Amino acid sequence: MIKVTPLLALLIFPGGLFLLNIGMFYEWIDRKLVARFQNRIGPRWFQPLADTIKLLAKEEIIPEKVHAGLFTFLPVFGMAGALASALYVPLAGFAPSYSFSGDLIVVLYLLSMMTLCLGLAGSNTVNRFSLVGATRTLTQLFSYEAPFMLALLGPAILTQSWQISEINFFAQDNIWILVTQPIGFLVALIGLMGKLELPPFDAPEAETEIVSGALTEYSGRGLALFHVGKDIELVIGLTLVSAFYLGGLANPLEFVLKTLGLLVVMALLQSLFARLRIDQTVGLWWRLGALLALIQLLVVLVF
Amino acid sequence: MTTNKTNKFTVPIGPQHPALKEPGHFEFTVDGEIVTGATARLGYVHRGIEKATESRNWIQDVYILERICGICSHVHAMAFAQGVEMLANVEIPPRARAIRTLIAELERIHSHMLWAGVAAHEGGFDTLFMYIWRDRETVMELLEMLTGNRVNYSANVLGGVKFDVQQDQIDEIRKGMDKLEERSRYYLEIVTTDETFLGRTRSIGIMDKKDAAVLGAVGPTARASGVERDVRVDVPYAYYPDFPTVSITDNAGDLEARFVVRMKEVLESVRLIREILDHLPEGDLAVRVPRRIPEGQVISRVEAPRGELFYYIESNGTDTPERVKVRTPTLPNWGSVLALAVGHKLADMPMILVGIDPCFSCNDRMVHITNNKNNDQVWSWEQLRQYGIEYYK
Amino acid sequence: MLQIGSLVGNVLQSLFKRPDTELYPFEKKEVPPRLRGTLVWNPDKCTGCMLCVKDCPANALELVVLDKKNKKFMMRYHADRCIYCSQCVVSCRMNCLKMISEEWELASAQKEPFFVEYGKSEEIEQLLLEKEAQSDAENNGQE
Repeated sequence: MIKVTPLLALLIFPGGLFLLNIGMFYEWIDRKLVARFQNRIGPRWFQPLADTIKLLAKEEIIPEKVHAGLFTFLPVFGMAGALASALYVPLAGFAPSYSFSGDLIVVLYLLSMMTLCLGLAGSNTVNRFSLVGATRTLTQLFSYEAPFMLALLGPAILTQSWQISEINFFAQDNIWILVTQPIGFLVALIGLMGKLELPPFDAPEAETEIVSGALTEYSGRGLALFHVGKDIELVIGLTLVSAFYLGGLANPLEFVLKTLGLLVVMALLQSLFARLRIDQTVGLWWRLGALLALIQLLVVLVF
Repeated sequence: MTTNKTNKFTVPIGPQHPALKEPGHFEFTVDGEIVTGATARLGYVHRGIEKATESRNWIQDVYILERICGICSHVHAMAFAQGVEMLANVEIPPRARAIRTLIAELERIHSHMLWAGVAAHEGGFDTLFMYIWRDRETVMELLEMLTGNRVNYSANVLGGVKFDVQQDQIDEIRKGMDKLEERSRYYLEIVTTDETFLGRTRSIGIMDKKDAAVLGAVGPTARASGVERDVRVDVPYAYYPDFPTVSITDNAGDLEARFVVRMKEVLESVRLIREILDHLPEGDLAVRVPRRIPEGQVISRVEAPRGELFYYIESNGTDTPERVKVRTPTLPNWGSVLALAVGHKLADMPMILVGIDPCFSCNDRMVHITNNKNNDQVWSWEQLRQYGIEYYK
Repeated sequence: MLQIGSLVGNVLQSLFKRPDTELYPFEKKEVPPRLRGTLVWNPDKCTGCMLCVKDCPANALELVVLDKKNKKFMMRYHADRCIYCSQCVVSCRMNCLKMISEEWELASAQKEPFFVEYGKSEEIEQLLLEKEAQSDAENNGQE
């Protein structure tokens, strides 16, 4: 597998600029698919790009009684975390640029940094809606993190390594782990939806209840950075899950096909369900999700 | 996690909020996610319509009153026209009554489908929202074909209706009814079996029969708790004496029951429309009503899609009314929301608010109390009763 | 019974069906003949009873009397005040008024299209000439 030099990977390809654009492309595909499932037309291909450019051009209003430094820098930290994790995953089918033993844990925490930044950003203001949204974001973080990590641990145990690139190689050489660990795949997929706050787990951002959750006070550049950060998280999450369960990513063609296939399934799941209340989400994850993940681990350890 | 001071603060919903389609202000005192108190403030959409009717003649007033609400416009005009016809002592021909009922039932279908879509959207179920509104286009096209406009049909004149129903239109209506019936049955099934949606609606906002009767709830909100209040059954008007309808009730009293009652009412309206189309009587469309209505007072009640609509019309013999008072069905239902809200989670508030099918534009009338001895802002039930007794002595 | 995702049949079907959106300016649906579009007035049968003017809820009609004995009138129609209720159509006993369904896209960026004057143009010109002649005569008389 080709390996790109780390600096190039971080700034331009396959992380950095390329990742930003791929993130927007995937967001467009997701919105278009959900619209088609709802029997509507959906946006045109440049819509997420147009949204980002428009937001960057708007005035950024810093509300009163907030810590201005935190307010402006939290979106940057979140996006930085998401961008940094591109160095360790097999993005676009190329081998990860930096790879060391244990980088699975690092990537998971870098992705969670985005959610933490969201929660902090919401708690930073005096706005009621942001406070409620921040509470819900952090509650959801506590609830899906454990099953998601356990589900990603299944293939790691099979490979007997904590290194993502090795798990990637292992998955390419053997049969798809989806077949041998279906429950783990299910938990990983739904955990990914929880991480990205996609419906039915979008209680932290419920439009009809708390306007926009933690992002209510943001406008202009901060909001654009948060949105782009979420798109990047989408791509990296899809890469991780498809690299582990769908037989590894050996070349760009496989990357495109497998991640898009997973995106179609996620769009389908998005449009089928009503929004779960936050206490229902927590209940579901801690009872059903953790149980399933533990069963899966047991099966892996025994056989 | 316990702290020494409880985390009580107020979450304002409105006047601008994505949960409300029209402005209204609600303040919920919240402790974490549990609501501990609720107050409401209405009046943002007051347009002074009752005063405007006093300076226009009877014929113009039909159209002014029709525009109180966009979704229940036909029943407002029908209630007014009925009242004036009672005052003027004219009897409208049976074909006019049948056409009025036909359009009222089509409007009921339209209103319930609109509400079901909005309530699904509040619960986060956008797919159901899009599908229901796509099928609502069927009934809007039927109404446009029949009356000429998709909202504010302007079908009523004093003394009858404006236009006739022709044979090819009857065929189109039948086709539309077949399609609507199939889709409504599908949605009824979805609403009662989908687990995620039931998690948002079952056992939420339960109002038992005694509370509903005491708080004065009307319409499908009351019928979902088992209280049988339906003006079409209790005091039939228009064409309902000839083609009676059944009042649909459910005993659960929660949000799911309100969905079930409204979808079943859609099916019942479909059945009623088919029956009316089969037996449409021949005759004129309108009779002549004099321009000056004789003196008198009259009360006119109809069943709007949201409940009982109540008109009081007083005439002083000239060609403009003396007083028109409108009491719309959403107003008594607010009491039930505020009483129910305590104890539920904040995430349920939009669903409970939308569960009574609020129509804020209908709502805002002015109540002017003069001769207030104590100068209080809040009256108890006893004080109100005492005031009423003294007023009518 | 645990039924999750009961909409799945419809949702999958919708992926392969044509979307239900109507691409408005490029494809327009046919309007029914009863659609209440803009108002047209036929001056031939008008008797000048002014019932339409009295009954309009929005005061959108004005009838200018050019010559009462020969029944020559001019009507001014404020299309921006009109609420398209068609009460004037019903009030007119001679069926001079009609709401046509062909013209219903009435949005405009200027105010002029909303002030419509109906009537035979020769008569309007004659009226204006007469009025000018009259005012000239008055001015000459005063001097």
